[in-house]
Amino acid sequence: MKWRKLFVLRANEKQLDDELHFHFEELMDQKIAAGIDPEQARREATLEFGGNEQIKEECRDVHRIATLETTLANLKSAFRFIRKSPTFSLAIILTIALAIGANSAVFSAVDAILLKPLPFPDANGLMLLHQYNPKRKTPESVTAPVRLEEWNRSNSTFHAITGYYTEDASETSGSMPEKLTIAWVAPRFLQVWGVAPEIGRDFRPEELHFGGPNAVLISNRLWERRFHADPGAVGKTLRMGKYSYPIVGIMPASFLFPDREVDVWSPVPIDAPYTHDRNSTWYTTIGRLKPGVTIEQARANLAAVQAQLGREFPKTDKDLTVEIQPLKETTVAGVRRSLLILLGSVSLLLLIACSNIAALLLARTTQREREISIRYSLGASRRSIVAQLLTESFALATIGAGIGLAVAAAASHAFRLLAKSLPRVEEISLDWRIVLYTLACAIGATLLFGFAPAIHASRRSLSTSLANNSRTQVSARLSGQWALVGVQVALAVTLLIGAGLLLRSFQELGRVSPGFDAAHVLTFHITGSYGETADMKKLNQRIQTTLEALRAVPGVKNAATSIFVPGASFKYPDELTIVDTPSLPDRKVVADMRFVSAGYFETVQIPMLAGHSCQNTNTETAVVNRSFVNTYLANLSPLGHHFNVSHDFYVHAPPEIVGISSDDREDSLNQAPVPTVYRCVEGGNPDPFYLVRTAGDPAAMASTIRRAIQKILPSRSVFDITPLEQRLYDSLAENRLRTLLLTLFALTAISLACVGIYGTLSYFVTVRNRETGLRIALGALPNQILKKFLVRGVGISVAGCIAGLLLAAALTRLLAGMLYGISRSDFLTYSGVAAIVLIVAASASLLPALRASHVDAMRVLREE
Amino acid sequence: MPIERSDLLQGTLDMLILKIAALGPVHGYGISQRIRQISKEVLQVQQGSLYPALHRLEKRGWLEADWGSSSNGRQAKFYRLSSKGRKQLDKEQSNWERLSEAVALIMQTAH
Repeated sequence: MKWRKLFVLRANEKQLDDELHFHFEELMDQKIAAGIDPEQARREATLEFGGNEQIKEECRDVHRIATLETTLANLKSAFRFIRKSPTFSLAIILTIALAIGANSAVFSAVDAILLKPLPFPDANGLMLLHQYNPKRKTPESVTAPVRLEEWNRSNSTFHAITGYYTEDASETSGSMPEKLTIAWVAPRFLQVWGVAPEIGRDFRPEELHFGGPNAVLISNRLWERRFHADPGAVGKTLRMGKYSYPIVGIMPASFLFPDREVDVWSPVPIDAPYTHDRNSTWYTTIGRLKPGVTIEQARANLAAVQAQLGREFPKTDKDLTVEIQPLKETTVAGVRRSLLILLGSVSLLLLIACSNIAALLLARTTQREREISIRYSLGASRRSIVAQLLTESFALATIGAGIGLAVAAAASHAFRLLAKSLPRVEEISLDWRIVLYTLACAIGATLLFGFAPAIHASRRSLSTSLANNSRTQVSARLSGQWALVGVQVALAVTLLIGAGLLLRSFQELGRVSPGFDAAHVLTFHITGSYGETADMKKLNQRIQTTLEALRAVPGVKNAATSIFVPGASFKYPDELTIVDTPSLPDRKVVADMRFVSAGYFETVQIPMLAGHSCQNTNTETAVVNRSFVNTYLANLSPLGHHFNVSHDFYVHAPPEIVGISSDDREDSLNQAPVPTVYRCVEGGNPDPFYLVRTAGDPAAMASTIRRAIQKILPSRSVFDITPLEQRLYDSLAENRLRTLLLTLFALTAISLACVGIYGTLSYFVTVRNRETGLRIALGALPNQILKKFLVRGVGISVAGCIAGLLLAAALTRLLAGMLYGISRSDFLTYSGVAAIVLIVAASASLLPALRASHVDAMRVLREE
Repeated sequence: MPIERSDLLQGTLDMLILKIAALGPVHGYGISQRIRQISKEVLQVQQGSLYPALHRLEKRGWLEADWGSSSNGRQAKFYRLSSKGRKQLDKEQSNWERLSEAVALIMQTAH
C-alpha cells in the first residue's frame, strides 16, 4: 500500500523514523552497558521493540483524519451498504433522482431565461428605449425614425442606437408565393448587437440611403430552407412586392432578433421622404450603452437630449420623455414570477424528498445500532462515524443526482415542447452550470437528509446498546421520524393548495362565457405592407374585396377582419373626447381601441344591443360596448354622438357612434370586459387578422380558403391559418404549463408524504411488536390496537395538515394575479385539500395499523 | 509481576505520560524508563502503545515537542507539558485520586 504514504508529509515520516530509531539505539546501548554481547543485544532489543512498522502505522493514524484515504474507505463501505440493501437504496435513489431531476429541469429553464445574459456579446449593455408622453397614460412602444436619429446623434451615453419594425411580406421568386417575416431596420443595426454575418457582409452606407441599392441579410433558417445552406446564396435575390432584394449576408443561427420568426433584415433609408414626419412612429428602439455607463446616467442623458428637442419642436416633442429599460428585463419580466414559483415548488418537493429519506435513514440507523456500537468499542471517534454515515448519504445522493440529471435532460426537452411560447426557450440546454447546480443540490440534500440520522445514530448513549439485548427494548418513540412525517405532510399540503387554486382558476375560466362564439371560426393573415397605409382608401378597398370573395366561398357563412383576435389579444387603451354632448363627463374617457371591418360582430357573434353594427359606409363610424356606455354615457343616449381620438393615424373625421354591442372578453378570457370602442376600419393595419365563420369544421376549410385567395391575390401569401379556438387555447399556454407542472409537483409531493406515513408507521409497528403482543395477551381487543396506531398516523397528519394550511395561507399571496374567479383563500380548495390529505393519510396508516391488530400474541411472546 | 498495557486502565497511560513530562522535557525512551523505575518495575509500557499515545497527546496540544541532543549526544525528540496539558493533568489526577480512594474504601470495608 505505497500510495498511503502520499497522504503523510514526508518530513513527518522521517521524524517518526528518527524518533523510533533513537529509542532502539538507546535500548541497545543499555543492554551493551549491562554487559551483553552487541549481536545478542541487537537481537534482544529488536524482540523487545516489537513491530516497528506497526507502531509507525499507529502513529500515522493519529495524524490521519479526514484525508482522502478515509473518504475512499468510507465510500467503499457506502457502496457495500448500498449493495447489501438494494431495495432500500433503490427507493432512496429514485426519490432523490425524481426530486433533483425536477429541480435541475426547472433550474435549467430559470438559468437560460432569467439568469444568463441575452445571447449577444456584452448583452447587459443592450437597452430598450421608448418615447413616452406622461400626460397620456397610454404607453408608446415605438419611436419616429427622425427622432431616433436625433437621439443617436446628440447623446453621449450610448455607443449606438438603432430600431426595427417587422411585417409579413410575400416572397414571389419561387414557384409559389411564400410568406416571409421581414424586419425593417434603422442604420447601425448590427453595430448595436455586436454580431457579424456568418457569411457575407453588413449593409454598406449607400444601401442606407434613399434611392440606393436594395440589400437584405437572411436568417440561417431561411438559408437552410430555401438555399439548402449553399454559401452561394449570397448574391442571389429575393422578390418582395415590386422590388428585388439582393442577399448580402447570412446571419448566424444563434441570431434570433427580434424573434425566432424573422427571416430577413433590410435597411430603411434614413433620408426617405416618409421618414421625416415627427408624428409617425414605427421603430422599436434598441441602444447599446458605452462601457461603464449606468442606466441612470443614460436616462439623465436622454432626458436632456429630448428636452432640447422639445424646445426645438414644441408642437410635437414638448410633452415627450424617454424611457429606458434593460432589453433582457423587457424580454423575460413576464414569465419571471411563474418560473420562480415553479422553482420554489420544486425546492419544496426536494425538501419533502429529503425529509422522507431522512425518516427512512433514521429507521435504518436504529437497526444499525449494533454495528455502530461495535465500531465505537473498537475505538472509532464520533467524527469518523458521522463521516461514514454522511458518506453513505452522499453516495446515495450522488447516484440519485446522476439519474436526476438524465431526468432533467429529458424534462427540459419536454419543457421546450410544452413552453413554446416562453421567451428564450430555445436557449434552454444542459451545460456545466446545470451539472454544478445538480451537484450542489446533491450536497445540500446529503446534509439535509443525512445529518440528523448521522447525529442521532452516533449518540454515545447508543453505544451502550451493545450491552443490552435489543429485543427487550419497548419504548422507541421515534419522535424524530414523526416530526419529519409532519413536515412532509405540511409541505405537500402547501403545494397541493397552490396547485388546487390554479386548477380551480382554470375550471372557473372554462365556465366563463366569453361573450362571443369562437367555435367554427377560422383565423389567418394575408401578407400586406405598411407602405400600403399611404393610400388608406385603396387598402380598405383591397380588404373589402377580399372579404367579399371569402363570403362567396361555399361553406363560409361570414368573414371579417380585426387587428386583434377576440379573447387572445392585449389591451390597447387610448384616450378620447366626446364632442357634441352638452354634459361632458368630467373624467378622462379611456377605452380599449379595436379596429374591425363590417361583418365582425356577425362573424364572431357578439350580439348588438342597440343601433347597428359596422357597415361599409363612406363616413367614419364606431360601435361601443355596454361597459363603455355604463361607464361614460350612462345618462345620455349614446347613438349619434361623435368622438375625437387624441392621436389618429387612420381616420380624420370624428367617428359617429352607430351601435351598442354587448360586453365580451376581447383582451383575454381571464379579464373582465372593459369599456371598448370598435372603430369600423378594415385597414387599421395592412395585415389584420381575417376571421371566417364556417359551416363545418374550420380547420378543414384551410386549403379551400387558400385557393380562393390565391385566385384573387396571386402575389400575396396566406399564412398562420388557425381555428380561433386553437388560438384561445394557445393564449393560455403559459398559464396551463404553470398549472400542469405545479399539479405534477403537488401529486409527487403527496405520494412521497404518503410513502413517508406508511413507512414510518410500519416501522413503528414493527418496533412495537412485542408491546402489542403483550397488550393483546393482557386482553386488548384488535380494535383498540387498530385505533391506537391509526390515531398515531392520522394524528401527525392532522398536525402537518394544519401547519400546511397556515403555510399556504401565507405563501399563496405569491399567486396573486394568477388566479381567476376565486380568492386565494378559496374555502373549497383549502377544505378539499385537507380532506384529500386526511383520506390519504388514513389509507396510508390503515395497512400497518391492521397488521398491528393482527399480531399473534403467542408467537411474539414465545420469541421473547 | 510487571503489569503491561492491556491491564492498564484506559486513559491511565495518558495520565502517566503527562505526569512524567511535567517533571521536565523528556524523550520517549526516557518516559518508558522512568515509568519502569518509578513503579519499581511493576509498570512496563510497550513502544506500540507509548508512541501512538505521545503523538495523540501532542496532536491534542497537551504536549509540545522539540528536537534536541540527548545525554549521549544523539538527536532525540523531547516532549514537554503545555499549559493546556497541565490543566488536563490536574483534572485527571484529581479524578484518579477520587477513583482510587473510592475503590480503596470498598476494598477495605468489604471484608
